[in-house]
Amino acid sequence: MAQALVDLLRDTFKEAVLSSHSHRGDEVVVVRRESVQEICRFLKDGEARMQLLRYIACVDLLTYDTEMTGGGALASNEVPAYDLAKKAPREPRFQLGYNVYSVVRKQSVRLRVELRSDDVKVPTVTSVWRTADWWERYLFDMFGIDFIGHPNLKRILMYPEFQGHPLRKDYPTRKRQPLVAELEFPDLIRGPGPGPGGAGVPMSQTHVGRKNVDPTTYD
Amino acid sequence: MTEHHDDPLALEADLPSSLMTVNLGPSHPAMHGTVRLVVTLDGETIVDAVPEIGFLHRGFTKSSEASTWHQVLPYTDRLNYVSPILNNVGYIMGVEKLIGIECTERAKYLRVLGGEISRICDHLTCISAIGLELGAFTVFLYGVEARELLWDRIAEWTGARVTTSWTRVGGVATDLPPGFVERLRECLPRVMELTHEIDVLLSRNRIFYDRTRGIGVIDGDEALDWGFTGPCLRACGVNYDVRKAHPYLVYDRMDFEVPLGERGDTYDRYILRLREIEQSHRIILQCLDQIPPGPIIIDDWRYALPPKKDVFGSIEGVMAHFKLIMEGMMVPAGEVYVYTEGANGELGFHIVSNGTGKPYTVQVRGPGFPILSALPRLIKGHAVADIIPIFDSINMIGGEVEQ
Repeated sequence: MAQALVDLLRDTFKEAVLSSHSHRGDEVVVVRRESVQEICRFLKDGEARMQLLRYIACVDLLTYDTEMTGGGALASNEVPAYDLAKKAPREPRFQLGYNVYSVVRKQSVRLRVELRSDDVKVPTVTSVWRTADWWERYLFDMFGIDFIGHPNLKRILMYPEFQGHPLRKDYPTRKRQPLVAELEFPDLIRGPGPGPGGAGVPMSQTHVGRKNVDPTTYD
Repeated sequence: MTEHHDDPLALEADLPSSLMTVNLGPSHPAMHGTVRLVVTLDGETIVDAVPEIGFLHRGFTKSSEASTWHQVLPYTDRLNYVSPILNNVGYIMGVEKLIGIECTERAKYLRVLGGEISRICDHLTCISAIGLELGAFTVFLYGVEARELLWDRIAEWTGARVTTSWTRVGGVATDLPPGFVERLRECLPRVMELTHEIDVLLSRNRIFYDRTRGIGVIDGDEALDWGFTGPCLRACGVNYDVRKAHPYLVYDRMDFEVPLGERGDTYDRYILRLREIEQSHRIILQCLDQIPPGPIIIDDWRYALPPKKDVFGSIEGVMAHFKLIMEGMMVPAGEVYVYTEGANGELGFHIVSNGTGKPYTVQVRGPGFPILSALPRLIKGHAVADIIPIFDSINMIGGEVEQ
């Protein structure tokens, strides 16, 4: 049933549909970035009746091949935990996944748009689904994806003064950007700010042999 | 001067008037915590509203990427903190979909049972809050008493009232404790009695009816356009419930109905939640009747922790335990979007694995996020006092909206 929809898309947009596959029951159609608006409009208004845009996901593939198992190096607040030099990062780096659904036909499909890291622009689909407004603002906030034509593209969860985009894989997990200066916490296992080991010291080592100090003496 | 007094309308026309901006929240008792609403008023009428969120942003996705697959579970508790079991189930079903396994038969029933208890708690919270904020404090007390009864059952079952972290890949963490079924059967009639009390107190109450009927109306097509799901969408008459449209776990074996609204207003959203409590009650009773004996978690040491007897008694057991704890289970590479029916709508998880012991990314579609984005649309043209019932009826939960 879902295959018919993929075939329909392939027939209607011969140029724009790059490939399609299915994984664990999810139908994925990779489309050209320029035609995403047109295809979304077709999906919503055409016979597919995809009236519901469930979610727009974004995956940053920067460390997809290099990130490894095991805790540890994430304690660093200076450098990312992984060795970027080991392998060339993937290009296109970003994958947007538009999960759309038809309440009438009970079908879903995921449109995937791939973006290179030097050109993270994609046309907005706010004119197709109103709900795309906030999801696109969310992706702009978290990944820095530039949605061309969005009526109000500004940060949604982070504060306006925030620098960078926190869900990009090269944004360190423990980096902090306080608006008012934080108190000096010299030590806490997972407390705010950098651990005592500083950059590159695994989290597992920062509290090994830690003196049993009275927490009230901190200030 | 005198001619103005002859015509009162002309007098009014001369009064200076301008738009006024009012801040509602983030620390406003009716804002449920963390939303700030910048409202532009013309007199009493709302002409514009801008919701601002992010005060409760905890970095769910970023934290999840630094955790093993099972360490994400406590973060999911905090998404919708009123019905955490539904979040646990939604997330863990995503991981199981990536791996390509299913949980045991008994665990399926347990998940449905826990999920429906949580759904009742969530709806009770929403309804009680509407009552409370419209001045019916009694309703709130009834609702909270019923919710406490259920949360006590969840506490003795999972070990925690709200931060349950109760599911595991391939099953669940704890089986029903001795005597649980009897106690649940004892407290359910009281829960339904209290729900009925709320029903008769509010549903035909003149003041409540006037303040909610015809307020915040939205029709089905527009609601879909805004990304509504769950009770808010069904209040507009659109029949979309994941439990019926794409039955997961054992929902296909349950006999229940999907109540629908007609007008899509605040009253419909309220009454629909009441009706859904009754349906969840039906599902719970059927679960208790049908639940089979058997293991609560699969016997596959690649994903599930070995029993303690094996951990302490065999080298294979201790190795499996060590690997699962230190490295996490190895989930095959892939990308899935998994959706379940949360208490407020479709709860989606977009999960990507690169084949290691940590999720490459876990992103959540909180059902409240798109619904909150439509709040300006719902309250425009109404009076300031109408913000409270409309905002309550969409039951925005800060934890899932702001991640």
